[in-house]
Amino acid sequence: MKGIAAGRRVAVCLSVVLLPVLTLAEAADPAAASNPQKSSSSGVSAAVLNLPDAPLPSGMQSQNPSPTQPSQNPNNNPNQQPGNAPTLGDLGFTPQQTLANAEMQKRLNERTHDLKMHQTFGLITAVPMCATVIVAGGAKSKRNRTSPNGTVTGPSDSGVDLHVALGSTTALLYGVTAYYAIAAPKIPGVKPKGAIRWHRDLVWIHAPGMVLTPILGAMALSQENNGEHVHGIASAHSYVAWTTVATYGVSIIAVSWPIHLKFWEK
Amino acid sequence: MRFAVALLLAFVPAGIHAQNQWVLTQSTLTWHVVHPMHEVAGTSHAAKGRGNCSAGQCDFLIAVPVNTFDSGDSNRDLHMVETVRGAQNPIVMVRTHLAQAALSQATIDADLDVQFAGQTAHYAHVQLHRVSHGDQVEITGTVAATCSDFKIDRPSFLTVPIRNEIPVTVDTTWKAQ
Repeated sequence: MKGIAAGRRVAVCLSVVLLPVLTLAEAADPAAASNPQKSSSSGVSAAVLNLPDAPLPSGMQSQNPSPTQPSQNPNNNPNQQPGNAPTLGDLGFTPQQTLANAEMQKRLNERTHDLKMHQTFGLITAVPMCATVIVAGGAKSKRNRTSPNGTVTGPSDSGVDLHVALGSTTALLYGVTAYYAIAAPKIPGVKPKGAIRWHRDLVWIHAPGMVLTPILGAMALSQENNGEHVHGIASAHSYVAWTTVATYGVSIIAVSWPIHLKFWEK
Repeated sequence: MRFAVALLLAFVPAGIHAQNQWVLTQSTLTWHVVHPMHEVAGTSHAAKGRGNCSAGQCDFLIAVPVNTFDSGDSNRDLHMVETVRGAQNPIVMVRTHLAQAALSQATIDADLDVQFAGQTAHYAHVQLHRVSHGDQVEITGTVAATCSDFKIDRPSFLTVPIRNEIPVTVDTTWKAQ
């Protein structure tokens, strides 16, 4: 009897010592854990332990074998996973990161709407802006080079009117474009980064240019109408205008940068 | 003695059933967008993931906040969040259920459920490649996602929309716990 009792004690002690070690080894060694032969070496199979299979995630239960035609399950609740499947809570995300924010979505939608309008009007503005520059020659006094005393001939009324009309249209559209950029809701905590910084910084050049150009143009026209040679600050009209047009163009390119033209690819 | 044996038998199964857990330690998830004038990629390293294995079956969950993807342009990133309804659905989640034996194979054939933009899309037979680095395992692959899978209105520039395909490349490193 003593021998049997001693044998039991040894068996119990061995069990107590070895089983936790075997369990830890299974958990710590993923290769062994993934190998069913090694897993079964513990001598305890899933069937013996009568464990249920790991439950399928709810999304997996939809039958759609084609990878090109994924199924949609909009009502799938990610936080209610059966059994073994990990949940968002297990991953350690804060509630602020996981909660839906309808107010922010609305703000983002408004921002996108306003910036799309900004983009559309910005591109439209470029058309009369270029046209204004192109017809600028017709609104300028010209020195008669064939005349020995270099008489100056004034611009035609139609040339001036066209230049003024196109310039005014440009200024008006530019104002609408600027309005949408300013009105677009700002998203707190987001610092401008990348090409958008150039787009924003160039405003400090073309916005004053858009204000100065028509003022200087009006001054130049007034001087010409008075029979004076364009002088003083009014003589900078064309330089300011060209600078404005150039920075405006660079601003459009900057916000689209980097450009990889691939129109030939479907 | 009998009490000790009974106690042992009561607690040992719980110990043996202890789940193998995998934890995501590093990740690089990148979406790719193609427009006739642009090719853009946005990357996030903020994914968190976990895998629970028991009885030869594993369930994995990988989640990443939508607003952590960085394309190098804050304006574009905000537009992306708006387009994919990222404030309403701030987390992208990928779930998969695998046989534990599959985890030791060089190529893992996985069925993925991707929850994104308020929709769940199922991608069957996604080929993931597994490479061991010591006690860590690197899993790489590409999910052939499209805008239409998630009912995303394709953004356009100069009235030309981006391509429907928005493949997401995945590079994750896992460690067993």
